[in-house]
Amino acid sequence: MEVEVAGIKLKNPTILASGILGTTGASLRRVAMAGAGAVVSKSAGSEARVGHRNPTVIEVPQGLLNAVGLSNCGIDEMAGELEIAKEAGVPVIASVYGFSIDDYVKSAGALNSYADAIELNLSCPNVERAGQFFGKSPELAFEAVREVKRKVKVPVFAKLTAEAGDIAEIAKACEEAKADAIVAINTIKAMSINIDARRPVLGNKVGGLSGKCIKSIAVRCVYEIASEVSIPVIGCGGILTGEDALEFIMAGAEAVQIGTGVLLRGISVFRKVSLEMKEFMEERELKLEDIRGVALR
Amino acid sequence: MNTMEIAKIKRVVKDTQRIKTFILDIDVSAIPGQFVMVWLPDVDEKPMSVSYTSGDMGITILELGDFTRRLCELKVGGKIGIRGPMGRGFKVYGDRLLLVGGGVGMAPLAPLAEDAIKEGKEVTAIVGAITAKELLFVERLKKAGVRVFVSTDDGTAGYKGFTTDVLQELLQKETFDQCFTCGPEIMMFKVLNIAEDKEIPTQASLHRYFKCGIGICGHCVLDGTGLRVCKEGPTFRDKELRKSHEFGYYWRNAAGQKIYFGVKK
Ligand SMILES: Cc1cc2nc3c(=O)[nH]c(=O)nc-3n(C[C@H](O)[C@H](O)[C@H](O)COP(=O)(O)OP(=O)(O)OC[C@H]3O[C@@H](n4cnc5c(N)ncnc54)[C@H](O)[C@@H]3O)c2cc1C
Ligand SMILES: Cc1cc2nc3c(=O)[nH]c(=O)nc-3n(C[C@H](O)[C@H](O)[C@H](O)COP(=O)(O)O)c2cc1C
Ligand code: FES
Repeated sequence: MEVEVAGIKLKNPTILASGILGTTGASLRRVAMAGAGAVVSKSAGSEARVGHRNPTVIEVPQGLLNAVGLSNCGIDEMAGELEIAKEAGVPVIASVYGFSIDDYVKSAGALNSYADAIELNLSCPNVERAGQFFGKSPELAFEAVREVKRKVKVPVFAKLTAEAGDIAEIAKACEEAKADAIVAINTIKAMSINIDARRPVLGNKVGGLSGKCIKSIAVRCVYEIASEVSIPVIGCGGILTGEDALEFIMAGAEAVQIGTGVLLRGISVFRKVSLEMKEFMEERELKLEDIRGVALR
Repeated sequence: MNTMEIAKIKRVVKDTQRIKTFILDIDVSAIPGQFVMVWLPDVDEKPMSVSYTSGDMGITILELGDFTRRLCELKVGGKIGIRGPMGRGFKVYGDRLLLVGGGVGMAPLAPLAEDAIKEGKEVTAIVGAITAKELLFVERLKKAGVRVFVSTDDGTAGYKGFTTDVLQELLQKETFDQCFTCGPEIMMFKVLNIAEDKEIPTQASLHRYFKCGIGICGHCVLDGTGLRVCKEGPTFRDKELRKSHEFGYYWRNAAGQKIYFGVKK
C-alpha cells in the first residue's frame, strides 16, 4: 500500500507522530522496524530543554492528556539520533519548534541534512510563545514556512492546530509560503482535576488532549483543509484502527500519523492499521486513489 | 486505564538515617520489580519500586533531592497519588536464588526474597551500603529466612568493600540458579559480568529518567535495543542488557541528553 507524499515514498500510509517514542534514534528505529511507513522525531529546538514537571502524561477517558513541555536534547544531539533512526531504512522526518522565526530557521537548517523532511511544529499547546503561537496566526505561519523554505532543501511540512480560528486559512497561508504538506492536527488544550486531591493532575496544570476523543475534530479539520489547499494533507488525531485511518483518507488525507494509538495497540499499531486498511479495500476491490477525498466530492 | 488513585499513609518506618518506608492503605497487587508513579500534588511525580507487594502496598524512599525530601516529610494520614503497578517484575524460575542489592536498590529485592522463601526456595542475599547505618532490610530478610551477607564501603559492618567483592568470593564456592540485582548501575554492570562468568542467568532492575511511565514518550528507551525501561523493564535479563551499549555507561537526563556514569567510552 505504497503512497507518495511530497515526493517521499512510504511503504504504507502510517507515520509515527512527533513526541511519541521519538526522543532517541534507537526508539525511532524500533518503531520503523515494527512497520511504520515513516517516523517523526520529537520536536527539537536550538537549545536543550528539560520540559515541564511530572505528571507530564496521564490517561483520561478515550485518550491522553500531556504537557511534556517540549523537552528535548537540542538540535546538536538530535542530529546524531536521526542518523541512528535512518538505519531502519524508512523516511525520517525531523520535527522542530521555535520561540521565533529565526529559531525555526536555525533548527530546521541544522537538521535538514539528517532528515527526509522537516515538520514545523506550529501547534504545540504546552509552551508559551512556541508552537501554537505561530500556528494561530496566518501571518506568522506564513513567515515561518517561507523563511524555513528559503533555508532547507528537503520538503517542509507545517503541523497545525485545531485551536486556530480557521485552520483552513492557516493551511492556505502555509501553501502560499510553499509548504510541501500540511499535518493536522496537534493536541487540543485540556485539563484534568483529581477530585480527591482537588488539584489539576498535570505538572503544568493545562495540557494537550490526544487519542480517540479528538478524532472527529481532526477529521473535520482535514476535511476543511483539503477543501481549500492542493498540497498533500497528512491526517492525525485519534487513529487507532484501519477504519479510523480510512475516514481521514476519505476526508482528503494522503497519509496518517499515529501517536496515542501506540498506547492501546502497542508498537505494532502501524502494521495493524495498514493491514486493516488493506483488508477493507481488498474486500471492496478498491484502491486508495478511489477513496481519497471522496467525502469532499 | 491507569488512573491516579489517592492513597493514605498508614504507617511510616524509618529504615535508616536517610531511608523511610511508607505503608499505604491500598493493595495494588504488584509483582516484585514492578513500580508505581508517586504523585505529590503541586510538586512532582516519580517512579518508585513497590517494596511491600502483598496486602497494603509499601514504598521505600531514599532522601535525595527536593521531591524525596518533601515525600519524607509526610506523616501518617498524609495523602499521595499512586498510578500503577507498571512495568514488568522479576521472573523467578530457579530454586537457589542470589540477590545483590546496593543501598535503596534492596527495595524491589526484599519482596522478591519473601515470596521466594514462601514458595520453598533457597535465598541468599548480598546487601551493601556505604556505612552500617544505611544498610536496608537486613533484619527483614533474616526474619524471612534469607541467608544474608553484608558489605559496607567503610567497613562499619560486614565485609569492608563492595557487594561485588563478596559476590566474587561466594561464587568461588557456590553456584545459584538465578541472580537478581538492583542498585547503582556500575555495581549492576559488574554483577552481570561476574555472574556471566559463572553462567548464572541474571536479571537487573534499571533506573532511567521517567516522564510518562506508560511507554509513550520514549524518554526512558535504551540505546541499542530500543526497549522502554518503563514498559519492557524496569527488570531486564542479562541477554537484553548485553544488546545495549548504553547499559553501564550512560543514561539520559530530563532533557534527554546523555550523561556518562564515569569516563566516556
Ligand atoms: C523503576 C524505578 C524505580 C525506583 N525505585 C525507587 C525506590 O524504590 N526508592 C527510591 O528512593 N528511589 C527510587 N527510584 C528513583 C526515584 O524515582 C528518583 O529518581 C529519586 O528518588 C530522585 O529523587 P529526587 O527527585 O528527590 O532527587 P533529585 O535530586 O531531583 O534527582 C536525583 C537524581 O534522580 C534521578 N531522577 C530525578 N527525577 C527522576 C524521574 N522522574 N525518573 C527517574 N529518575 C529521576 C536523576 O538521576 C537525578 O539526577 C526509582 C527509579 C526508577 C526509574
Ligand atoms: C506525549 C505526547 C507528546 C507529544 N509531543 C509532540 C511534539 O513534541 N511535537 C508535536 O508536533 N506534537 C506532539 N504531540 C502531538 C502528536 O504528535 C499528535 O499530533 C497528537 O497526539 C494527536 O494524535 P494522536 O491522537 O494519534 O496521538 C505529542 C503528543 C503526545 C501524546
Ligand atoms: S518514561 Fe515515557 S516511555 Fe518510558
